[in-house]
Amino acid sequence: MRAPLDYTTAIEEAVPIREAIRVISKASSEMFKKLLVANRGEIAIRIMRSAQELGIKTVAVYEETDKTAMHIMRADEAVCIGSGPRRDYLNIERMIRAAQSSHAEAIHPGYGFLAENPSFSRRCAEAGLVFIGPPPQVISDMGSKVIARRIMAEAGIPVIPGTQVLPPGEEGKEIAASFAQTHRFPIMVKAVAGGGGRGIRVAQNIDELVKFIELGRSEAKMAFGNDEVYLEKGLASPRHIEVQILADGYGNVIHLGTRNCSIQRRHQKMIEMAPAFLPESLADKICDAALRAARVCNYLSAGTVEFLLDTNDNCYFLEVNTRIQVEHTVTEMISGIDIVREQLLIAAGQPLSVSQENLVFRGCAVELRITAEDAKSNFMPDPGLIDIYQSPGGYGVRIDGAVYQGYEIPRYYDSMLCKLTVYGHTWREAVDRLRRSLGNFLIAGVKTTIPYYKQIVNDPDFINQNFDTSYIEKHPQLLNYQEEVPPVGKLAILVAEINAHRHNPYTA
Amino acid sequence: MANNEGDRVSPRMSAGEVLDFLRHTPGVFLTNNERDVSQSDFKCRIMPQTTLRVAPYRDATGYFGFEILGGATVHMDLMKKQINPFEKLQLVRRAMPNTLIQGLCRGRNLFGYRPYPDNVIEMTVRLFSKYVDIWRMYDFLNHIPNLIVAARAAKEAGKVLMPSLCYSTGAGHTDDFYVEKAEEVLSVLGENIILCIKNHSALGSPARIAQLVSAIRKRFPDLLISYHGHNTDGNDLARLMAVAQEGVKIVEVSDHGYGGVYSQPPALTVIQNLHDYGFKTPGLKIAPLLDASDVLRRERRLYERFTSPFHGFDPTVKRHKLPGGALSLVLEQAEKAGLIERSDELFRELIEVRKELGNIWVVTPGSQILWATALSNVVNGRYQRASDDLKRLLLGRYGPFPFYDPPQWIFQKVLEAGRTDGKMWDEILADEGGLKQPANEDLDARRLELQSHLKRPPTDEELCIYVQFPRDALDFFKFEERFGKTWLLPPDVWHHEGGFPDGARITFSDETGKTHNIDLISTRRTADSVQTSFLVDHQFQTHTTQLPKKTVNREP
Repeated sequence: MRAPLDYTTAIEEAVPIREAIRVISKASSEMFKKLLVANRGEIAIRIMRSAQELGIKTVAVYEETDKTAMHIMRADEAVCIGSGPRRDYLNIERMIRAAQSSHAEAIHPGYGFLAENPSFSRRCAEAGLVFIGPPPQVISDMGSKVIARRIMAEAGIPVIPGTQVLPPGEEGKEIAASFAQTHRFPIMVKAVAGGGGRGIRVAQNIDELVKFIELGRSEAKMAFGNDEVYLEKGLASPRHIEVQILADGYGNVIHLGTRNCSIQRRHQKMIEMAPAFLPESLADKICDAALRAARVCNYLSAGTVEFLLDTNDNCYFLEVNTRIQVEHTVTEMISGIDIVREQLLIAAGQPLSVSQENLVFRGCAVELRITAEDAKSNFMPDPGLIDIYQSPGGYGVRIDGAVYQGYEIPRYYDSMLCKLTVYGHTWREAVDRLRRSLGNFLIAGVKTTIPYYKQIVNDPDFINQNFDTSYIEKHPQLLNYQEEVPPVGKLAILVAEINAHRHNPYTA
Repeated sequence: MANNEGDRVSPRMSAGEVLDFLRHTPGVFLTNNERDVSQSDFKCRIMPQTTLRVAPYRDATGYFGFEILGGATVHMDLMKKQINPFEKLQLVRRAMPNTLIQGLCRGRNLFGYRPYPDNVIEMTVRLFSKYVDIWRMYDFLNHIPNLIVAARAAKEAGKVLMPSLCYSTGAGHTDDFYVEKAEEVLSVLGENIILCIKNHSALGSPARIAQLVSAIRKRFPDLLISYHGHNTDGNDLARLMAVAQEGVKIVEVSDHGYGGVYSQPPALTVIQNLHDYGFKTPGLKIAPLLDASDVLRRERRLYERFTSPFHGFDPTVKRHKLPGGALSLVLEQAEKAGLIERSDELFRELIEVRKELGNIWVVTPGSQILWATALSNVVNGRYQRASDDLKRLLLGRYGPFPFYDPPQWIFQKVLEAGRTDGKMWDEILADEGGLKQPANEDLDARRLELQSHLKRPPTDEELCIYVQFPRDALDFFKFEERFGKTWLLPPDVWHHEGGFPDGARITFSDETGKTHNIDLISTRRTADSVQTSFLVDHQFQTHTTQLPKKTVNREP
């Protein structure tokens, strides 16, 4: 463990810039009294839970189009930040104002929305609010995939062969062509400002490559306000491995082990698990690389270093996520560490509550993202009224949800209903528990991905941990399931029909 | 397997063991025919839940058999009860593990109204044999070759075979005729059978029926005979006692808790009579029989509106000869046709038509053909608008007329009507007449066809129902997909009249025995829709039904 930094010196020398800590030091490491959660849905509730456990009052924000959301009910207070949809959750000034009007001292951004927007972190600091997360420079460095790659490469962490930002026009095309010559296809066209699986296209030949660079530019412009793209060599069927890290203001950086997030659909994670079940030496190597990565970028708070693992167990740096992630729950289950609580403590200027040596990992955990989507219709969102909602419980089952019976899922936001995380002493036990828990859900009114997950947990490849990032694509038969409507619900509809017609129309 | 149950037959016996047991056990056996009670006295509307509720008592009673399949049940299960007939049998089998289950099939016409091809008959008998122990089968023209395919399939499945002779009276219906028919049955289907006398129209005095049994027994002293009668004229008890005295081994009865009017006489009365006359009733227990009827007495109120509009017995059946429940059904049809005032004329026409059409047996599908012809004759003029079924009957598609052919003018009128080729009736008869073996179904093609409707591979049982009743089976499959297993609902919900009051609670158990509640909270009626709010297992739910325009003001 390193000695605590001298913040005054650090600030004066402006290396590294740690606005958040500067604010804390003013508050003399005292825990703040009120936290504004600049997010919605399950992650907002997740954050409120840890805050409330620490005796921190919580403030929810919401758009008018989201006024029935459950996170409002779970908060101690709520502020309507605008008419929505979506744009107010993305509006930095409204967030700052909401925090100020509710006298919150800190802001937790959750994931998505403003979480990885360096301007937000910077504005919080300017407004004298504690931003729960890394400093703006870290967010902005890691937010640029090209800068992040450079920093990591300089630190000796292997990165996938790739280009710098492609210059526009013919020059870019020439660089692309020569890159293709050297590294062969497939080649990924990636948005510099992308991340979380967004802004990625895979080209299999030179024509596609040229086309995707153009497409990628215009899409990136629309989605991220930045049309820069770069190229990376595509790996065949890689595994997606990531390491959860925690760094406090005293120079302590620890990892909470590996996760395997290979089961993805179109680069969006669907199932995540911890640990990644890698050979011990490989896991150590990856975790060490992650710690190094965290240190070279002056990391603070909770973050994730993502890697790709090819079929020969070569690992490559992918990106750093400077936020709490959806799948943090699996790490919490096997490490016993409440990551959000640690984030809050770090932000309040306290040291990490656990050292690397004292950490013990036990068993394994798997998390499924249960969404209101119709898997059979290309996972099209199926917003609507939730007529019935019953979730499973019992040993080793954790639900992070934000829906309730009678809730009408708005069509403006993501379609996540809840995350199901199960713990098991062994992988097999965890899979058995997943199967049981999926069967214990009772959700009516909207289509969900539960029947699709039920297929997966019965699939021999999944059970035998035989999966990589191509799993979903290579198992189309998993879509051949029958929709289940609760049998009693169906009978009730007949009762309603008899009631409406005043006789049974089916026995006339 | 040896008989471990002592004094009663068991589904665990082989067909041969069952017949041996009957041969070697003195006394008279009783078969409870709920199938016929439901069909004759309640328009087939007895719901599976009622059957299942009394199943343990009936199973403990020690009947020889329990008839729950056959006649109209398969079609009615699909159309009016919305239960898969196979599933119903499976439930009954599970609830009555110690009683032989009996099924009735119309020979080549199976559970329908027209001849089916061999492979459909074979598949049907084979699949239903999973649940059926005794196959009772008849041909409505007593044309024994029409039984061969079904009988062979039943034998292959190792089931007890009970071929039936339909019984009637009048010209041609002599003891000699029936003895000859019995001989034909034995020579075609073998000796290991039970011969059933099927007195569907409750005809003949006790003396007449006794004489018939005596004549058959004289010729075949070792033949096991069962008697299936109807109490339409109120006289079946006496007939039943008379045949028992002539050596009939099995008689068919109902529960006194319901039935016993156009269907079979009550078991308890039969038992009391038999005991007084010195017969044993092996294996029968009275206490569970009383328990069953205690339950049924309460349940029958739910089915009251499906009983005949005319209460009491109908001794005029001797003339019109309509079997069991056909009577109430034809009256209903007459009413719908606006002919109820002319019912006497209709019945006279029916009698006339039967005589003209060879004095054949008035039993399905013959009863339908005769009645439809009589109805059409009254409305459209005699034989003016013959049905296709009547044409088929005259062409001999179902089999030959057993006693005499109809008069030539009827052949001429019916067969020549609508012909454009100018063929005369005798040419038509010569060229096109006679039994025509229906071509086998392409079952693989039908399976694919059904699969395209269901959007999933159908089960063999679903395919079997589908090939017999394509449209009604499809409607049922759609219904089942939408509403699930509605037979789980209590019969008073299924047959409910009027809306449900706010606060009404419906409690029932599912297949696994777990209890469920549906609590009605409120009903909001608007001009064209009804919104029902309820708690389904304590979870709030609403359902909106769009009403068709015409029924909006159906009731105040």
